Amino acid sequence: MTLVSHTAELATPRTPLPTPAPEPAEAPSRQPRRVWAKVWPGLLAVALAVAAWQIVFWTGWKPDYVLPSPGEVGAELLAFLGEPKFWQALGNTLARAVLGFALALLIGTVLGIAVSASGVLRAAIGSMLTGLQTMPSIAWFPFAILLFGLTENAITFVVVLGAAPSIANGLISGIDDVPPPLLQTAKVLGAKGFTIYRYVILPSALLTYVAGLKQGWAFAWRSLMAGELLVIIASKPSLGVQLQYYREFANAPALLAIMIVVLVLGTVFDGLFSKLTEIVRRNRGLGATRL
Amino acid sequence: MSAGVALTVENVTKVFGGHGQRTTALSQVSLKVADGDFVCLLGRSGCGKSTLLSLLAGLTQPTSGSVDTHGHRVGMMFQDANLFPWLTVSGNIELALRLSGVPRQSWRDRVAELLEIVQLPQAGDKRPHELSGGMRQRVALARSLAQDCRILLMDEPFAALDAITRDGMHEHIERIWIERGITVVFVTHNVREAARLSNRVVVMSPSPGRIVDDVAIALPRPRRMEDAAVAEQSGILHQLMDLHDTASALERLAS
Repeated sequence: MTLVSHTAELATPRTPLPTPAPEPAEAPSRQPRRVWAKVWPGLLAVALAVAAWQIVFWTGWKPDYVLPSPGEVGAELLAFLGEPKFWQALGNTLARAVLGFALALLIGTVLGIAVSASGVLRAAIGSMLTGLQTMPSIAWFPFAILLFGLTENAITFVVVLGAAPSIANGLISGIDDVPPPLLQTAKVLGAKGFTIYRYVILPSALLTYVAGLKQGWAFAWRSLMAGELLVIIASKPSLGVQLQYYREFANAPALLAIMIVVLVLGTVFDGLFSKLTEIVRRNRGLGATRL
Repeated sequence: MSAGVALTVENVTKVFGGHGQRTTALSQVSLKVADGDFVCLLGRSGCGKSTLLSLLAGLTQPTSGSVDTHGHRVGMMFQDANLFPWLTVSGNIELALRLSGVPRQSWRDRVAELLEIVQLPQAGDKRPHELSGGMRQRVALARSLAQDCRILLMDEPFAALDAITRDGMHEHIERIWIERGITVVFVTHNVREAARLSNRVVVMSPSPGRIVDDVAIALPRPRRMEDAAVAEQSGILHQLMDLHDTASALERLAS
């Protein structure tokens, strides 16, 4: 006990920091401190970005109505939180993202297993999958609009095309990289056919698969934003529609506020996938992943 | 020792590679192992001893000749424990039970019993990476025993362990072999290890891989690595291997 309090004392800075004192509710226990250690680099990055923005604003490089100050955008963002229309737009966008990603997950997984199991399929569409991955998804939209019109389906189609190849490729390389000794062991233990997939190959491929999911999500999110800007469905508010709308009305503070929402959502989901990767890695004794 | 035969190898030849580079890993190998015996396959690297073991495990097929394990269940251990890293120790053993068709309700008792046998009763919830090399091999041993195998093939399973841990593993495997009455075929390039463990040493020689000698080790058990008799036996085996090397070299010169 004495040792613990002693080290805690050492860790406390002797001189008070020039920042405002934390609220008294935050007792100096270990848990908040550890959270703080994780959070402060992110906050610092945000603070630096906001500071740079503020400085550019002060130089008067662009007029106020084109490049508003961080404070003005922040106020706009806060105002959004009270508007039902904003939440409706957010809900629609997230619903599309989840639906598109779920479909991509299903298609990518089935495709990944099929390609890794069959030499013919691998020769036929293995390299095509990588090609699709490098294709900017926005290039699909004109064709998708021809196929489906200005509908939900056009957006979903492109989101799936954007995300599924990454998911499939993640699974394929995971399956290809199953260590041969583990396969031999599985065979000696009597696993074959489906059981070897179910109990050895797929669990072994999980780590790379999760990395594929993370990349797939990033592609899905980008495709979705492109889609919402191009395929505007009048009856359905969405983050992309809001962006377009505020640009048309030259409402720069609102435009930037929506951009911040898009950025934050992307970061949050990316963080969730990183967390998932970290859990899988830790279970296998692979240590913490970077980022 | 019972009169039954655990496994039979007849005139087995194994050739690797295609049209260009062909290597004969095994040439005309024949071997009978009695039920309940402890046999070491001893030889330098490249003599085909691991290839012979893979053939016995059914991991590869002979180019010609036949391998028969007479319907016995065969388990195998490798130099690395090859535990599945995404499963706990118990999970690894349970997977072996599942793949052997053992009903789920008896898994818990079987896992506890097997961990008791390898003297790791507390390790069930651990992950493979949390164990030492020796402990991992003991879990791999428990996993092999979970298959209820009659024949246990071991491919230099203790070669990567330090001397003290290896001595401990020798005691474990000797005790389990005596208690369970299984047949063990143990591959090693360590002469002393062969003398320490086996009833019978099959000496192999490289290029092409073949059996050149077959020596009975009739020492009392339990043995210890530092027993004078074990040291003496390994001295004899050493000289024997040197003799066969010289003979092979002369043969090559003559042809």
